[in-house]
Amino acid sequence: MILLPHLELALLIPLLGGALVLLFRNRPRLREASSLFAGILLFLYITQLLGQYHGPSPVHTLLNISASLSIAFQLEPLGLVFALLASGLWVFTTMYSIGYMNGNSEKNLTRFYLFFSVSIAATMGIAFAANLFTLFIFYEALTLSTYPLVTHKQTSEARSGGRVYLGLLLGTSIMFFLTALVITWIRAGTLDFMPGGVLEDNTQGLAAVLLFTLFMLGIGKAALLPFYRWLPAAMIAPTPVSALLHAVAVVKAGVFSVLKISVYTFGIDYLATQEASVWILWLAVATMVIASIIALSKDNLKARLAYSTISQLSYIVIGAALAWPAAAMGGALHIVTHAFGKITLFFCAGAIYTVTKYTRVSQLNGLGHKMPFTFAAFLLAAFSVIGLPPFIGSWSKWLLIEGSVDTQHYIVLFAFALSTLLNCAYLLPIGLRAFFKPPDPAQTITGSGIQEAPLACLIPLCATAAATLLLFFYIQPLYDFLYPVFNS
Amino acid sequence: MSSLNPALILVLGALPALVLKGHLRAAYVLLLPVLSFLQLYTLPAGIRAEFEILGMLLTTLHLDRLSFMFAVIFHIAAFLLILYSLHTRDRLQQMATLIYAGCAIGAVLAGDLITLFIYFEAAALSSVFLIWARRTPASYGAGMRYLIVQVISGLLLLTGIILHARSSGSIEFTQMDPGTPGGALIFLAFGIKCAFPLLHNWLVDAYPQATVTGAVVLSAFTTKMAVYALATAFAGTEILIWIGLLMTAFPIFYAVIENDLRRVLTYSMINQLGFMVVGVGIGTELALNGTAAHAFAHILYKALLFMSMGAVLLRTGRINGSELGGLYKSMPYTAGFCVIGAASISAFPLFSGFVTKSMIMEAAALEGYTLAWLVLLFASAGVFHHSGIKIPYFAFFAHDSGIRCKEAPASMLCAMAIAAVLCIYIGVFPQTLYALLPYQIGYQPYTLTHVITQLQLLFFSALAFTWLVRQGLYPPELRSVNLDADWFYRKPGRWLAEHAMQSIVAGEQKMGVWIKRLSFSAGTRLHRHHGPQGLLAKTWPTGSMVLWVAFLLGVYLIFYYVY
Amino acid sequence: MNRKKHRYWLDSPDNVRKLVYGLYALCAALMLLDFFYHKHTNFPFENWFGFFAWFGFIACVALVLLAKQMRKLVKRDEDYYGDV
Repeated sequence: MILLPHLELALLIPLLGGALVLLFRNRPRLREASSLFAGILLFLYITQLLGQYHGPSPVHTLLNISASLSIAFQLEPLGLVFALLASGLWVFTTMYSIGYMNGNSEKNLTRFYLFFSVSIAATMGIAFAANLFTLFIFYEALTLSTYPLVTHKQTSEARSGGRVYLGLLLGTSIMFFLTALVITWIRAGTLDFMPGGVLEDNTQGLAAVLLFTLFMLGIGKAALLPFYRWLPAAMIAPTPVSALLHAVAVVKAGVFSVLKISVYTFGIDYLATQEASVWILWLAVATMVIASIIALSKDNLKARLAYSTISQLSYIVIGAALAWPAAAMGGALHIVTHAFGKITLFFCAGAIYTVTKYTRVSQLNGLGHKMPFTFAAFLLAAFSVIGLPPFIGSWSKWLLIEGSVDTQHYIVLFAFALSTLLNCAYLLPIGLRAFFKPPDPAQTITGSGIQEAPLACLIPLCATAAATLLLFFYIQPLYDFLYPVFNS
Repeated sequence: MSSLNPALILVLGALPALVLKGHLRAAYVLLLPVLSFLQLYTLPAGIRAEFEILGMLLTTLHLDRLSFMFAVIFHIAAFLLILYSLHTRDRLQQMATLIYAGCAIGAVLAGDLITLFIYFEAAALSSVFLIWARRTPASYGAGMRYLIVQVISGLLLLTGIILHARSSGSIEFTQMDPGTPGGALIFLAFGIKCAFPLLHNWLVDAYPQATVTGAVVLSAFTTKMAVYALATAFAGTEILIWIGLLMTAFPIFYAVIENDLRRVLTYSMINQLGFMVVGVGIGTELALNGTAAHAFAHILYKALLFMSMGAVLLRTGRINGSELGGLYKSMPYTAGFCVIGAASISAFPLFSGFVTKSMIMEAAALEGYTLAWLVLLFASAGVFHHSGIKIPYFAFFAHDSGIRCKEAPASMLCAMAIAAVLCIYIGVFPQTLYALLPYQIGYQPYTLTHVITQLQLLFFSALAFTWLVRQGLYPPELRSVNLDADWFYRKPGRWLAEHAMQSIVAGEQKMGVWIKRLSFSAGTRLHRHHGPQGLLAKTWPTGSMVLWVAFLLGVYLIFYYVY
Repeated sequence: MNRKKHRYWLDSPDNVRKLVYGLYALCAALMLLDFFYHKHTNFPFENWFGFFAWFGFIACVALVLLAKQMRKLVKRDEDYYGDV
């Protein structure tokens, strides 16, 4: 494969995939194949980039607006890992979408696949952004391009959900993110991402605290209190959207931005010495615990998973806000580990819906014998999200807890422990009901024809579930790769 | 192959057990522990295997005399348990048993704290399925509580390890100081797994709710892993003596009034663990040998007792003392094996308990712990009373309940027979067991004094039982629940948690309404900017805008490359 | 209902009584054994006549009577926790 020297290809591939989708809008099979093809191509491209990676690449400017304002890309470990994750899981999701969307006879599939591709392109833009401005642009592009996916069903419920989605994400980003960006630009004179940050010489004390707080509140995609409502609202979307975008790409774009800004705009050491992240730390801790409790109270499966995601995103924000290398590393790894777990959970929720049309946890009793693979995968992923060894989620949790111990934030440590227990309480019963509770008599009659979901759904969810277990033993390369980001 | 961890043979080998069927599966699952045992046996002494992860060097395999001994008994147990479980068609249980046993073996062969932690957690995770597999509402709840407690123990262990590693600079699993913060947390974590007083309820709560085989399997591993861990890390910590004494003494009162016979066995298990914990606390070579030997013997006779009760539960569907009785007529072999297990746990001469428990008592006496010795003597009499007499008496003899059922399945009888033979073999030829002990010391259990005094103690206990029953003083078996320390989290704790959650959920609701109003107006305004009023409801306007942006970007990119 | 029930040895109260008397005799014999051998002991009180016998008997009676009292305190309905 011919490698173009610059990173734009990462954006072009999904966009071209989108164009092909449009082209083949009347030939469903070709349309879906082109979507899948673009996914695989993108994934291969990112792996090539990874294979050739030797330290951060020079900044590649795409568009110069002024001397210090440009749209530019750069290859660095954090972005590469995020891009690899999003593109890899895109392949699985595309495959899954084909099974799901057909299984549920959804309409407007051309639009669906098209905007899916555009969203991925925007995600790639975020992953490779070399400065805050680029990040911001693609961040907004991602919000806009996922909006049609959220409102896909075009019901009044979907539109109302969509408005909350758009209102919160755009609102916070314009009110806080943009403000923080402008302040940074004025103070530091640059928006570039630099190891160690750009604020050390020009911003101290309370100003640093306020600036960091503005940034974090502005990144609505990281779903901190009180601006996380867009995520449950987005659950109105078809499940593949929830799976990739609202468990991986969109939400992870948020926390990826959090990490990127913490590491490259502020710098871990700077955050620690200025104690700039203290407010956000407590906000994230509160979000983590409260969202877990709300999750426990939700009977709707996707709503429960959404609140679980909110809680897990706060883990990553805490990782950054602890301002400690091990914790930030834990946060970065958590982006990956949680992605595998949560996408599996959503895949399973979608598979259950496709087959049974059940949306509530309390309806799942006894289904395990009819859908053993789905529910087994669900349990494995749940174990990973809870952070139990030997599942991949345990490593990131380990580092996060190590970070809270090292920085002597014992309340944070306690909150992690509490959240872990709450995770058990709200995730496990979903899978366990299916296997270990007898089916309700009323449902045994209506549910006699229930069997496993179509293979196109089943294979991806089994694959990602297996990954939560297998990657436990292969975390080391990822750790080594990310190590220089946090330990300069 | 030479340094392959035997634990992996069981853990990975368990996966095919899920798909195999019929006799092939039976043969396969029986063969696995044998293969794994052969691998253990051929491992050279002092072998180490290492594995690097997250910047830490793990010692996944570390063989010393103590770990070897525990690995041996865990293998024997695994084989017997699998044999015992062959009657069930539930493949999940056999897989869980193999993985759980493998994790237990992995834990005792772990050379560092992180490997230990991983195996501990994996053991907790695999074992809980043995509870859930009973598929009753009670077992569902009990399994959940069991897992939560295990996770709490895991979190304590993890935090302790991090603190310990920071202060000592090492993650090696070796002697530790319970006075340091890290050491204290690790101590507490092991304490939960070992069922220290007030931390013991997960065991009493969960084991009796497990499946027929599940309870037997559970009885073998988790707590003995904890004993091994305590012996490795905290040998000679004096507080363990007093903790252990409490463990020997308080559960026997509960055992007397408990109706569920498997729960009686769990209380008796805490009593037996108490002996081992006392041994660890004394920490002399004799005491540690005693702990190791007692753990070895205990796994066998406790499994035997649980097996016999499991067989009763399987055949009659009942396990409460108040509903059973007279079963020796229907299940004579099971009754016989149960009596052998009862004699072993009571430490009758020629049975296994006699040659192991006395080492701990002797060690206590030699170190001058008079009070401790007296409490242990009391506990010895007590254990005979509730495990040695009560279990077989109320299940198989006593008042004939009128239940007539089939004898236990052949596979169960085989497993019980082997366990019974081993109990007697150890009792008769203790030197075979002593040769495995961590320290080489001459200890002679069969002295005239020891035999006679022990017989006096036991027969007069039996006399007391007989007298009490004939006088009508013995408390009748009643259907009831006895409050224990779990009351605190199952009643007031639960109430508190539920109320706290309700108020948080209500608060979040309010906030949500407010935020939704805010974002809704923002979202609506954004709509107005992007499209005409009439098209507000449609999704295309915003979409097409994005499309245009994307298109322009694409065109620009292509231009850029083409120049 | 003329199903013949097999009568087991233990079904007869006489046989049970025989067993009990056997136990009494055995206990008496064990107690008397203390006259005929030299105890190797760690504590002086172990040498008291029939120490282990008395200890075993009293310990068990105390255990049962105390447990009976404890029942008043801890015994609850079987469905106390509402999960049976």
